[in-house]
Amino acid sequence: MGCIFSREAAEQGDIRDTIQAREIDKRIAQQSTAEKKVQKLLLLGAGESGKSTIFKQIKVLFQTGFDDSEKKNYTGVVHANAYQSIKILLDGLQEFSESEQEKYTLLPENKAIGEKLTEIGNRTQQPPLTEELAQQIEALWKDPAIQASYLRANELQLPDCASHFLNDIHRLAQPDYVPSKEDVLYARVRTMGIVETEFSPVGETKKRGELYRLFDVGGQRNERRKWIHLFDGVTAVIFCAALSEYDQTLFEDESSNRMIETKELFEWVLKEPTFEKTSFLLFLNKFDLFEQKINKVPLNTCEWFKDYKPLTSGQAEVENAYGYVKTKFEELYNESTPPDQRLDRVFKVYKTTALDENLIKRTFRLVDEVLVRQRLMDAKML
Amino acid sequence: MSLSEVGERHSVAQQQVQELRERLRERRAQLSDIDLVRYSRQYGCKPVRLNVNEFKCCRTLQGHTGKIYSLDWSYVESTRIVSASQDGRLIVWNAVSSQKTHAIKLACAWVMTAAFSPAGTAVACGGLDNVCSIFHLSSSPDKEGNLPVSRTLMGHKGYLSCCRYVPDHEAHILTSSGDQTCILWDAEANKRIQTFGGDSPSGHNGDIMSVSISTKDSSLFVSGSCDSTAKLWDTRTPARALHTFQGQGGDVNTVQFLPDGRYFGTGSDDGVCRLFDTRTGHELQHYHDQHSTSRGPTNVTSIAFSYSGRLLFAGYTNGNCYVWDTLLAEVITNLGGGMGEGHSSRVSCLGMASDGSALCTGSWDTSLKVWAYAGNRTLR
Repeated sequence: MGCIFSREAAEQGDIRDTIQAREIDKRIAQQSTAEKKVQKLLLLGAGESGKSTIFKQIKVLFQTGFDDSEKKNYTGVVHANAYQSIKILLDGLQEFSESEQEKYTLLPENKAIGEKLTEIGNRTQQPPLTEELAQQIEALWKDPAIQASYLRANELQLPDCASHFLNDIHRLAQPDYVPSKEDVLYARVRTMGIVETEFSPVGETKKRGELYRLFDVGGQRNERRKWIHLFDGVTAVIFCAALSEYDQTLFEDESSNRMIETKELFEWVLKEPTFEKTSFLLFLNKFDLFEQKINKVPLNTCEWFKDYKPLTSGQAEVENAYGYVKTKFEELYNESTPPDQRLDRVFKVYKTTALDENLIKRTFRLVDEVLVRQRLMDAKML
Repeated sequence: MSLSEVGERHSVAQQQVQELRERLRERRAQLSDIDLVRYSRQYGCKPVRLNVNEFKCCRTLQGHTGKIYSLDWSYVESTRIVSASQDGRLIVWNAVSSQKTHAIKLACAWVMTAAFSPAGTAVACGGLDNVCSIFHLSSSPDKEGNLPVSRTLMGHKGYLSCCRYVPDHEAHILTSSGDQTCILWDAEANKRIQTFGGDSPSGHNGDIMSVSISTKDSSLFVSGSCDSTAKLWDTRTPARALHTFQGQGGDVNTVQFLPDGRYFGTGSDDGVCRLFDTRTGHELQHYHDQHSTSRGPTNVTSIAFSYSGRLLFAGYTNGNCYVWDTLLAEVITNLGGGMGEGHSSRVSCLGMASDGSALCTGSWDTSLKVWAYAGNRTLR
């Protein structure tokens, strides 16, 4: 190497590398400072506890970034989602036609379009959506084979936005198209394994420049212990438990009671070393269904609540029963948290009905207050 | 047939499977008449006498702001390392100068694995987003200085635990996932070539945590899974695993082929590393130090072999990083442990440079350390 490079050239190379490395360090420092302003929240809970509904509600109620200029930025993403969706469906045809050839074969007039769109979908940069392409995509979307493929969408990892965009493809191809709020909400869902949304519930936090980022890992149906430690820096865990499931059994295992499953999961999460210093916000969800059920099905149907004795009936009974369940969860929290740890983390219980927008809004304002207070305490300002 | 009858037949069948497994285990134990240690001693193998001080930490790479989850050396230039961290970044380092050459902020911050391509021109990563993202290092960064994603390989239904390029094949990547399958991809064409596991009965029954491709025959690879087994696969016959290696006492977190492609090691949650022979299916040796729990639980997170295979490096959850003598199953040293040079927290990943000159360890204490042998001795 000494005979090819002159010493000067080698030094120049070194200087370039050093400058580049310093720039990288500077960028990392800047990004890390910006990241510190984002408070991460993790949504956990057993299946059908209402997590995804709460997630959707937060998106709709609190998500930022909907002025016209911000919406315009999403045109490319929306078009890419449309191309991706049709490509995934076309790939699905290939997979499914191995077992049932006829059902999953495109009509002859659509074959050429199918190939063209698969090719476009594979590219990293897709062309803008023209009226002509929109017509071709529509032709494919209406093809019975593609519709059959769509019925098996859950096997294909097709994003939720597929039908929303493909049904409306002509609107997306208009030359003056500006994505609607809904389009933007759909376009933001990037992946299947984990979904995230950014928001600031109270107007003032936006001025402070702080954001919440909520993660829902419901898409992972595997060993939680292998990835839960990725979340050790989160500000709080929002644990969702459906109040109304005390008499329901699991879909996968009819001998197991859902409330017991939730109890065990909650216990496991509380004891995880990953969350030693993380605050827990327990959302006791589906309160409306609980109200309707409590006077018909006794609470002590569930093994965990077998000590419960109803005192009265009607609305007062609902409040009694709710109070009992809340106490049981609080007891469980105390049992699972050693005394010295109880000072490090906050535990709050909220009653929610995920479908009630106003309740969610009010709840998150309270959540915001709790988290702000926690941060100030951590910073020793309170 | 009623539900209870099905249930009964199921438990009877399970009983049978257990009995057959026991019989297999006994038969295998009969055949396995000697282990590696006794064999080596018979042939007069001398212990490796290395001065503990001779393994030095010659570089500490700082820069990540979160726990390191995975690292990989470049095959072609033995001085570059790519590391993936909980802070959502991939950083490419020049191990000699300790400088960063690239820092990529990922769209999905929950990354669990990273790999360097054989020609050193691209890096691949994946994690909780269920996709494998590929970045070409020579592409021009966007206005925020980030490299754009060149390819996204979608198809897994669970998190990506490990991705590895097939040696000598710039476009083929093997990924393993929490959905209990491994997939071989053609990255250029953005398609999957084969799927291993899933519906097939010989597939894994638990999340697959790690894969290792044989450098001698790149159509063979080994996968380790949370079902406590490791499986040997041939990419030409994906329908069935060639062999299943039982005997681990917990999740198999890591598998690694020896350079000769005939043997491989596994590391498991039970704190034991094991060496297996792919031709006979036997476990040749296990590596376990009963006294090591003083620093905390000792699950094996990652292993690597030295160039000759004589040394086995194992990283543990308590921050220890042992150097084992593969033939005599003795701990030669604990890298940096107890001397202040080692990691203060879990060693999550480690890897040997392609020319065998250095070992890099990555840890939850957010740093990477490069270790090299500073002495002057031949190992016989």
